[in-house]
Amino acid sequence: MKKVIAREKLPELWKSLAAKGPLFLPIQEGPVVLFQPWQEGAEINLDAVNTAVSPKDVFLPREETYMQYRCSGKQLELIPAENIEPVTAFGVHPCDLKAVEMLDKVYIDQDPPDALYKKRRENTTVVGLSCSEPDPFCFCNEFGVDPADAPGADVMAHLKNGSVLLEARTDKGKALLEQAGDLLQDGSKETAEVKDVKTADFGLNLEGLPENLKERFEDPVWDELYKSCLGCGVCTYVCPTCYCFDVEDFGHEGEGQRFRCWDSCMYGHFTAMAGGHNPRAGRKERVRQRFMHKLQYYPEIFNEIACVGCGRCLRSCPVNLDIVQAIKALGGETVEQR
Amino acid sequence: MAERNIESVNKVREAVSQDLLGGRIDLLLGWEKGHYWWQSRPLFARSEEDLEKLAWDSFCAVNLSRYLLEELKDHDKIGVLVKGCDARAFNRLLQDNMVKRDQVILYGLPCPGMLDYNRLIEKAGGALLGITEENGRVILNIESGEQEAQRDDLLLDKCKDCRYPDPAVYDQLLFSPQGEKEGPERFKTVEELEEMSAEERFGYWEKELSRCLRCYACRQACPFCSCRECFVEQENPRWQGRAYQPSENFMFHLVRAYHGTGRCIDCGECERSCPVDIPLQELNRKLIKDINELYGDYEAGLDAEQEPPLLTYRPDDPAAFSEK
Repeated sequence: MKKVIAREKLPELWKSLAAKGPLFLPIQEGPVVLFQPWQEGAEINLDAVNTAVSPKDVFLPREETYMQYRCSGKQLELIPAENIEPVTAFGVHPCDLKAVEMLDKVYIDQDPPDALYKKRRENTTVVGLSCSEPDPFCFCNEFGVDPADAPGADVMAHLKNGSVLLEARTDKGKALLEQAGDLLQDGSKETAEVKDVKTADFGLNLEGLPENLKERFEDPVWDELYKSCLGCGVCTYVCPTCYCFDVEDFGHEGEGQRFRCWDSCMYGHFTAMAGGHNPRAGRKERVRQRFMHKLQYYPEIFNEIACVGCGRCLRSCPVNLDIVQAIKALGGETVEQR
Repeated sequence: MAERNIESVNKVREAVSQDLLGGRIDLLLGWEKGHYWWQSRPLFARSEEDLEKLAWDSFCAVNLSRYLLEELKDHDKIGVLVKGCDARAFNRLLQDNMVKRDQVILYGLPCPGMLDYNRLIEKAGGALLGITEENGRVILNIESGEQEAQRDDLLLDKCKDCRYPDPAVYDQLLFSPQGEKEGPERFKTVEELEEMSAEERFGYWEKELSRCLRCYACRQACPFCSCRECFVEQENPRWQGRAYQPSENFMFHLVRAYHGTGRCIDCGECERSCPVDIPLQELNRKLIKDINELYGDYEAGLDAEQEPPLLTYRPDDPAAFSEK
């Protein structure tokens, strides 16, 4: 099913979609674009290639309540987390959706699956958005992502001159377009103006890298690579394939909530143990962990490198210690390019 | 490519290579080019080969002094390239007893201010292939030809109102000083915020801070955040919760800023490092302004001998809180 909508009609579409449940999309928030829930008056920016932080928090929110608790005397009352409503995520680029599929392997394709993540994923209708211009930091071509198509999307959207073409791929997608009713026009004769989007070419050679890294835990490369790392968590928080969380309580005496929230392997307390021991004592161990997770541990289990080339770490690391830097240092570079 | 001046890189390299290869220092903290012409990243040089990579151009924004905290554990004597702000950062660490002066050789680089890639592409209005610079002008190399712009319009926010581009402390100054500047708009935004009602101001900060990811890049990049254990990580008592609540965001940012009162050297590394562009320098500058107004003009990091106002006691100090 293909539909088309004029660009100037989009605000009506947002309004109608948001009336049925939360609608997440790229919103201009001051100087940055973030994937956020729509509100009246929000400034939607579909032309931004990459949001500052990946859209992963639609599925894995920064903070998510497990349950609330209330105690009075010896009575303990546990109140389960609120219902997870159906949501729409509009404008997820191919790299970011591929990253969500990597999270699926961790959170859904396991026994037992993660109930909250699974529910959110099932309850979300994803409208993918093809990229017409790459950002200078984009390098998804290196990971075989097609910037023109997000195969896992329920609806695939393409920006055209003055309009947006919407192509439903799944039943959920069809339902979404049907809901929009008269706002959309028939687009069966329209074609996407797909451009051949060329992203940055760093000359990476990823063939065999995960296997090669298996015996390189003690490689001297790690003694140098980490040096510039400041030990902040920017890379992990902007990254679409980082998925670690911590469980905490928030509350006062007598009542509160137990929640999970994003955590970062770049932090000291991530592996700090009761009694004071920390198996990842410093920045070297933490930097190694992060890159090994992307390039060796994840691929060993799921057969693909946990990077989609979105370029966020290249853009946001304050000292430019990004995954390309790491891959090159570890020898994952085509020799002629050196 | 962002060629400013191959000559100036050579001059820097010449100055440091004698010391590094001659054994006067065992490590040089400098910059090298990143993947892109608009990125210069930290370089940890120990050999002649390392020094080949040395860069000194308009993108060397990263403050290198902070790396001394870790590197001095493994090296006896370290050379550091310092811009004006980096030198003040060094003084900050010195005053906090985090580094020893005689373990460090400072190579001073009077700084013309660093350029902001986002401003460059905004100015170019499309694909930007590179830049060349001459006499305070930047020539943008765009697909359709060349476009000229004033350098001052393309500076990073942190450099815009820099008052002290020359290193306040150094062993060797590598170029001629730029001289002290006015920084006329340094407190402009702070003054605008002061004009707001308390509710408006609260709303402003609530919105700005709502973007905070608690990645702590601002803290990690900061030369005044040198505590061995930050209050954020303290478990008992637990000051900082992990929840993404407005109250927790305020907790972190206000404590961070207050902890820098009279100690913040206004280098703006916090704001530059923030992945969601929270205007952190406005918080810091508010406190700098307050200190100036309460205790007389004070520029943290300019003079390592001059104690920060809140770390000294003088009988004639104003008692603004009790007088009100």
